[in-house]
Amino acid sequence: MALRRYKSLPETSYQVVIHFIVGMIVLSALLPLVYVIGMSLTSQNELIARNYFVIIPQEPTMEAYRRLLTSEILWRSIGVSVLRAVVGPLLTLVLTVVGAFVLSRKDLPGRNLLLLFVVATILFRGGLIPSYLVMHDLQLLNTFWSLVLPTAVDAFGLLVIKMFIENIPRELVEAAYLDGVSEIQLLIRIVVPLAAPAIAAIGMFNIVMHWVSWFDALVYIQDPNLYPLQLVLRNMLNTEVVNDQMTQSLATNQRVSPESLKMATVVVAIIPILMVYPFLQKHFIRGVYMGAVK
Amino acid sequence: MQAAGTERRGGAVDPPSTSPPEPAARVPRQQPTVWQRMIKYRLMYLLFLPVAAYFVIFQYWPIMLSFVVAFKDLKLGRGIARSPWVGLDNFVEIFNDPQLLQVFSNTVEISLLRLVFGFFPPIILAVLLHDLSSRVFTKISQTIVYIPHFFSWIIVYGIVFALFATGSGLINNVLAALGQQRVDFLLSEAWFRPILIGAGVWKEIGWSTIIYLAALATIDDELYEAAAIDGAGPLQRIRYITLPAILPVITFVLTINLGFILYAGGEQILAFYNSAVYNVADVIDTWVYREGLGRLQFSVGTAMGLLQSVVGLILVLVSNYVARRATGRGIW
Repeated sequence: MALRRYKSLPETSYQVVIHFIVGMIVLSALLPLVYVIGMSLTSQNELIARNYFVIIPQEPTMEAYRRLLTSEILWRSIGVSVLRAVVGPLLTLVLTVVGAFVLSRKDLPGRNLLLLFVVATILFRGGLIPSYLVMHDLQLLNTFWSLVLPTAVDAFGLLVIKMFIENIPRELVEAAYLDGVSEIQLLIRIVVPLAAPAIAAIGMFNIVMHWVSWFDALVYIQDPNLYPLQLVLRNMLNTEVVNDQMTQSLATNQRVSPESLKMATVVVAIIPILMVYPFLQKHFIRGVYMGAVK
Repeated sequence: MQAAGTERRGGAVDPPSTSPPEPAARVPRQQPTVWQRMIKYRLMYLLFLPVAAYFVIFQYWPIMLSFVVAFKDLKLGRGIARSPWVGLDNFVEIFNDPQLLQVFSNTVEISLLRLVFGFFPPIILAVLLHDLSSRVFTKISQTIVYIPHFFSWIIVYGIVFALFATGSGLINNVLAALGQQRVDFLLSEAWFRPILIGAGVWKEIGWSTIIYLAALATIDDELYEAAAIDGAGPLQRIRYITLPAILPVITFVLTINLGFILYAGGEQILAFYNSAVYNVADVIDTWVYREGLGRLQFSVGTAMGLLQSVVGLILVLVSNYVARRATGRGIW
């Protein structure tokens, strides 16, 4: 970025070339999305008339969205996804912050052992089938809780927040102790506000993680009423899922094609991500820059 | 664990060790014993209890089960306790089953392909972003290329479907318009891996630049100025300043990726594959899900998973060690 000062011919042509290359990469990230949106707005008539070769629809129609929004299955799945993206991260944040608070106590007897107990789970996991057997034994299969409890503590996030707490200036904490606050008040009134950037970053990350999760639901959930949106979308897209309820419930006609319905569902799944993305960029990417992620 | 000396060992939020303030401080202060400290911190242990419970139930219990079930013959309805121990039978079965050996080789092949084709694009993009003279353009570009990282593999597959589907996909419609045959990209063994890996690069190319950009941000501008005065062109700057500055990070990322070679991105493959391409697509994770869980081969599936975890752990430890030796930087 210091290079803008040099205005020689090779520098200028180099800048032209790299602006072009980066521009192409940016377009290749954007254009597929534009095409998906275009498809979601194209009527069946236009698709057939133009032999399915439509990039920008000439007569855009919201019919696919109108149809989707009448689908009870879609609304229920959005409800499940929103609920897990709210309950899951809240639960995770409470437990993770409390865990980080405790493990930030360098004087705590057994602290290193507890830290190892947490960190080891990042490196070694039980695997799919043992996790399934545990959920079975706990009778959590086919319940909403199977979607939020397995990620109730974010071990990695715990380390990040712990690092943050350890960097809180000592004087602030000592002053609080002299004022006679209890440990709980210290946590709520001093530690949480001061570690807010890290907590916000981990919270945002967990919200998106919950919104885009589907594999856990595929494994733990049989009841279609508890399917999250991503799983409903997967069943629409996967040609080997026979008798997909969603596809069957959405009759198609000249005005709306199955392709448009699929693409409209993709768009519905993307929109919330784009909505939280500015916050993500503000908090999480800065967090990553701090060297928090590998 | 006993505190030694009088140095301050407390973390930021530890209560001051001088409390309570006693007026008669003539007597040399005594270090509290471990037991006294444990009592002082009893509330902390209580607070940690639910956190510990989570790890025991949702992390350590499955780990414990994986070591049990992998050496038993677990049948549905018999329960783990009443299922017979079978020693290494499940592992013998794995190594005698050509289909499972295929699954292992697919896993390693797909991981290596991801590494070969996914490794350099983010490095190139990071260098270009770093060199762009326009700050605004850099910011906008970064903002956009990071977005796909936050999509699910289902969303990415939706986009792949829009582009590659036989009847309605954009690419097949271009082919048809040019008078070419349509291609069943999504059902083709030849096309599965290129599409899988291409989509992976598309999703992660931006996000993967972050680690390099962080390293590039620490380069002193004076280096570039000195190079410019010495008459170095843009490519020479890359060759002699930019690349050397991120070489340790490049080595680090490469080594760590080698440690994860048994994790071929099962969730993406599960979103992308179908029975027409199992031969080239099936990896450990997808097999454990489809055959192990789906067809109730719990014990063989668990043995596969255990093998993956144990070998994976060894590989990660080794690669972390190597990365530390080579670059002074590890995951931990």
